[in-house]
Amino acid sequence: MSHIELIDIKKNYLGTEVVKGISVTIDQGEFAVIVGPSGCGKSTLLRMIAGLEDISSGELRIGGKVMNHVSPDQREIAMVFQSYALYPHMTVEENIGFALALKKVDKAEIKRRVMEAAQMLELEHLLERKPAALSGGQRQRVAIGRAIVKRPKVILFDEPLSNLDAKLRVQMRTELMRLHREFGSTVVYVTHDQVEAMTMAQKIIVLHNGYVSQLGKPMQLYREPENTFVAQFIGVPKMNLLRGKLQGNNFYLQSGQVVDIGNGYTSGNDLQLGIRPEHLKLQATSTQGGWTVDVVERLGVESFVHLHNATMEQLVVRVEGDCELAADIQVNLQFDAASCFLFSDKGQRLLRKPAIEQAAG
Amino acid sequence: MVAVVRSSSEDVTVTHHASQRRAYLTLVLISLFCMMPFFWVVLAAFDPKASQFLQIPQGVTLDHFKNIFANESGMRWVLNSVVIVGSATILTLIFAGFGGYALSRTQAWWKRPLLYGIILVRIVPPPALIVPVYKVMLFLNDWINGLINQFTADVEQQQMLSRMFSFIDGYLGLILIHCAMQLPLAIWIMKTFFDAIPKDYEEAAALDGASQWQTVRHVLIPLALPGFAAAGLFAFINAWGDFLMPLMFTSSPELQTLPLGMFRAFLRVDAIDYGFLTALAVIYTLPAVIAFAFARKFLTQTFSGGVKG
Repeated sequence: MSHIELIDIKKNYLGTEVVKGISVTIDQGEFAVIVGPSGCGKSTLLRMIAGLEDISSGELRIGGKVMNHVSPDQREIAMVFQSYALYPHMTVEENIGFALALKKVDKAEIKRRVMEAAQMLELEHLLERKPAALSGGQRQRVAIGRAIVKRPKVILFDEPLSNLDAKLRVQMRTELMRLHREFGSTVVYVTHDQVEAMTMAQKIIVLHNGYVSQLGKPMQLYREPENTFVAQFIGVPKMNLLRGKLQGNNFYLQSGQVVDIGNGYTSGNDLQLGIRPEHLKLQATSTQGGWTVDVVERLGVESFVHLHNATMEQLVVRVEGDCELAADIQVNLQFDAASCFLFSDKGQRLLRKPAIEQAAG
Repeated sequence: MVAVVRSSSEDVTVTHHASQRRAYLTLVLISLFCMMPFFWVVLAAFDPKASQFLQIPQGVTLDHFKNIFANESGMRWVLNSVVIVGSATILTLIFAGFGGYALSRTQAWWKRPLLYGIILVRIVPPPALIVPVYKVMLFLNDWINGLINQFTADVEQQQMLSRMFSFIDGYLGLILIHCAMQLPLAIWIMKTFFDAIPKDYEEAAALDGASQWQTVRHVLIPLALPGFAAAGLFAFINAWGDFLMPLMFTSSPELQTLPLGMFRAFLRVDAIDYGFLTALAVIYTLPAVIAFAFARKFLTQTFSGGVKG
């Protein structure tokens, strides 16, 4: 059993609370991604799980056992560092086998297990080299090899792909997922990149200012964000937010434009309307559309059109395929009412009435 | 037109060459002047008729060297110097390794004051320290000799132990003083070096299950090797060249080190034997050169590629 339970974990640094009470359970064999902007406490949280930082208060259990004061090597975990931290004076083989050599494992057995890990990571031909003679991607593999050779119950990753170029990162993402399937260890993976979180995670934990902002399956976070932070953090480009008031089905923007967001919401002032770029539609260009084109980002397969209105509120619209629109052209927008989110002034998601009844029942 | 342009540009190159040649000539002359004493030492050491003038030797002889080892206690001086300075260097490296690491990793408020305090020891001119240090050593000396006398009543054994462990006129005292004098710089070098070794390595080792000692042995020492080489080289060369401390803290001929032997040979009343002195100077220079050659291998061996920087 190697599920991880965090119970009201807190961390103080010289009087400043960095992690402010986190309670999360990560199931056995699960690929959990902790994601958040820099300074949200995600690396600190990971280092507390690893045992590299003391836990100020709260309880950490791995496999049901309290681990607060257990030394890192007794926790049956392995960690892949952002910097890789390969020992530069050792060959790849020695690097991977170091943990086993320390445990005084039989030499032949070390060799066998290093070979096994090397085969998994396609490193067989590099075993004699030193880290300085490896490319970034190869170093990354060695760092992973060093982790899996111990056959840990839990593998921790601290932003492992952030030093790789974009192409390699995509390749390593799929490779990590394959490794996780083959290996079956519980994985806790820290990143600031929501794309990594969305593509790899079985469970995403979004951290913000030392708190868990929301946790759940990737698509659950995308479809049902609980607040504006998660709404804007998950999804590229981020969700559009527009301030205004709601009367019946009509949302009045500050510019006076009206958007029909469907029924079910309670009327009110000082609200925020959220809608993703992919749920907006451009209508035939007109002279009095109310939205003016700023910039068009043309990627070929899709295009992103940046718009503003009379009160300088900004919006991004995703258009399938190519889109040839000149700047300063006026356009009309169609909002998909079913995909509109409503948030309070403070950023909490408001639900439609039937949904509330469903949630209550 | 074209011809005129060409000739003027040729003129420029010619004057350029001429001025460069003059500059090189001056530099060569200055260099030769500076190297003269070294030439003299090396030539005179092998010259059967060595004198105080630079001269081309009539023949080559090793007699001066033979003289040092056969008729004088040259071997003893060399061994004394090697043992004392060698032990002091090793001791310095051990202390500087621990101290430099601790000072690199601690975040305590006293870190900076302590670091500057340490370097202050280096700034004080050594002769200014002689009196207080001698006082302390004298006190320790009485204590250790009392201990030795308690330990054995055999006079010969007492003498032997006293020569080993005395703080004045003993190996231990001189080793400790050399170590203390070289430690400040060595600690600074090691501290700076450890600053450049990311903490990630130690954390990775901790997760790999390495104990504190295993981390030091398998990770930190190999990574800090160039730092140890630099600190060790400085400590060795400085202590090797030190004349004042052996002069102050040793008196018996059995403890005489190379610089003292040379000094006393120079002071002898009878005619100065330049061949003998220059041969001794060559022998005195050699270990420092060897130490440098040995350390150079490690100095240039910087590690990279372990962490992405």
